[in-house]
Amino acid sequence: MKKYLLATAMGMALASAAQAEGKLNLYVWSDSIDPELIEKFSKENDVQVSVDGYTSNEDLLTKLQAGASGYDISTPSQHFLRIMIDEGLIENYGANKLKAFDNIDERWRNQWWDETQEYSVPVAYGTAGFAVNTDQYKGPLDSLKYFFEPDGELAGKIAMLSYPDEVVGAAQLYLGVPFCSEDPSEMKKVLDLLAAQKPAVAVYSSDNIDSRLASGEVAAHFWWDGEELKARMGGAKLDYAMPKEGLVGWIDSMVIPKGAPNRENAIKFIEFMSTPENATAQMNFYAHSSPMKVIPEQVVYTKEKAPELYPDVPVEFSRTCSPAAQDLVTKVWTQLLQ
Amino acid sequence: MSDATHHGLPMQEPSHPPAGRGFWRNLPFWGLLPSWLLMAFALLVPMIIIAAVSVASRGAYGGFDWGFDLTGYRQILFNEGWSGELEFTPQYLSIILRTLGLALTTTLLCLVLAVPMAYFIANQPPARKAALVYLVTLPFWVSMILRVYAWMIILGRDGPLPRFVEFFGAPAGLSFMYNDGATLAAMVYSYMPLMVLPVFASIEKLDGTLIEAAHDLYGNRWVTLRRVILPLAAPGIISGAILVFVPALGAVLEPTLMGGGKQMMMGSLIQLQFGGGRNWPFGAAIAMTLLAFVVIVLILTARRATAKGATT
Repeated sequence: MKKYLLATAMGMALASAAQAEGKLNLYVWSDSIDPELIEKFSKENDVQVSVDGYTSNEDLLTKLQAGASGYDISTPSQHFLRIMIDEGLIENYGANKLKAFDNIDERWRNQWWDETQEYSVPVAYGTAGFAVNTDQYKGPLDSLKYFFEPDGELAGKIAMLSYPDEVVGAAQLYLGVPFCSEDPSEMKKVLDLLAAQKPAVAVYSSDNIDSRLASGEVAAHFWWDGEELKARMGGAKLDYAMPKEGLVGWIDSMVIPKGAPNRENAIKFIEFMSTPENATAQMNFYAHSSPMKVIPEQVVYTKEKAPELYPDVPVEFSRTCSPAAQDLVTKVWTQLLQ
Repeated sequence: MSDATHHGLPMQEPSHPPAGRGFWRNLPFWGLLPSWLLMAFALLVPMIIIAAVSVASRGAYGGFDWGFDLTGYRQILFNEGWSGELEFTPQYLSIILRTLGLALTTTLLCLVLAVPMAYFIANQPPARKAALVYLVTLPFWVSMILRVYAWMIILGRDGPLPRFVEFFGAPAGLSFMYNDGATLAAMVYSYMPLMVLPVFASIEKLDGTLIEAAHDLYGNRWVTLRRVILPLAAPGIISGAILVFVPALGAVLEPTLMGGGKQMMMGSLIQLQFGGGRNWPFGAAIAMTLLAFVVIVLILTARRATAKGATT
């Protein structure tokens, strides 16, 4: 904590120094933006780009709330994007007037997380679910039951993420409890399910997932579609479950934090990332679906090659929970790990 | 501390600046000013901010609003149960106790391993001694997270240790990961040098003739260790214990990566409150509680040390 505040203080001191022309500071999901695109943008616009990564929406939100981050672009998921708009943490940069807006696939425009599409341009979307090592597990993958109520083969070989949001969301899908429920009795059911599953869980961790799963240290891991896809393409024997109860959906968008020192470059970058050509390159790198118009012939991850990205089960997007609902999520998590 | 008198050397008078030249000539003050400023800026100011946040009221989506509110501290003991009634909840208390237990066990194990090791190193010829001390510090050249990952490889499925046990007939595909033992192994390994170095420093200064004297007086090895070596090495042991115990209280990495994160520690509880829990005042209140434990330990050891110093 001390370290955190110190970093904040230093960040504030550095923020004013970073106003030199020709710079762009990204704070995005770790390894999410194609480095070749960054280099291309850097050359075309004579801009020096620096990239920092985060591994959870919570990290990003906390950083922006602490103030004056010095970053020009971030990529929160939809439910956190809504909080950032409501809390006044990001800039209204008139996204709906940019060329980038015309390149957004119609079905992703003006959604509830940014109705007027003034604050954000989407960059990637996908799902969170379960992946299995097919050497270790040969059973069915069509229900969340096999993970939340495992018998035999998977017991003791399951790994969950160390963040409550995705885990609780999947449990809610399985139980038919609505996201962001404010009903304690419903959330108690979620806790009971997760507590009953706990003896079968080897680890709650969001780091190092690919090696843990590929090495067979665990047989099933809560994961994201694109990461599993990339590992599978790399030769790991994996499969991504398509449970009939559904998958938890997410969509990440490019936003400009309040007080960004290089706003003009940030807008240039958003326009750059949103051209069909570059959006296609980005999708081919990131292995998550693109919400932009892409060049179909150049897409590597087609439906045949990457069924992970084209789920035929219901996908439910995480909602922005009220403080009361979020407290219940935290309560479930604390009591699970107390 | 009492070295100089032991060897019968005359105590040197500390050199004071010429008296009466006023504030501006106070060289020690100005010389130390940078470190005072650094301490104030990097240690005191953040601590004051945390203390202030811990009594602020929480923001709806994280953050905080100024306003006096002790809910954060009350929450450590009392929370709304599932029925909505305010009730005593030992969950945070048990996390705090577990963290204290882990830190204490780590310190004890480090101590048990470090004393013989330091003694061995101290009794080597000078050249080898230097090389061994260098080897003890060597792990610090590598990032902490890499060292923990190395342990994950050693203990994990198909790692060297399971392979070794397999050689003696254990079933294949074993893994020693994700349990308390794995956590402790990584903790002890991580903090071991912090214990070895101060203990080594005080054992090295130990007068060999005292050990001979103990033997001459028919003290066996155990008695010599207990009544001569350990008391003389006490300053090193105490500072080593503090150096290990304090960071072990805040450990997040080892319990999460090695233990599987199945049971929270204070570090991860604080992290949760500032992140997903969106309850900064409560997170700050736990951080202050952690700080209180550290201060209590420091005060107790300092008192013991001065009490001992007074008797010798």
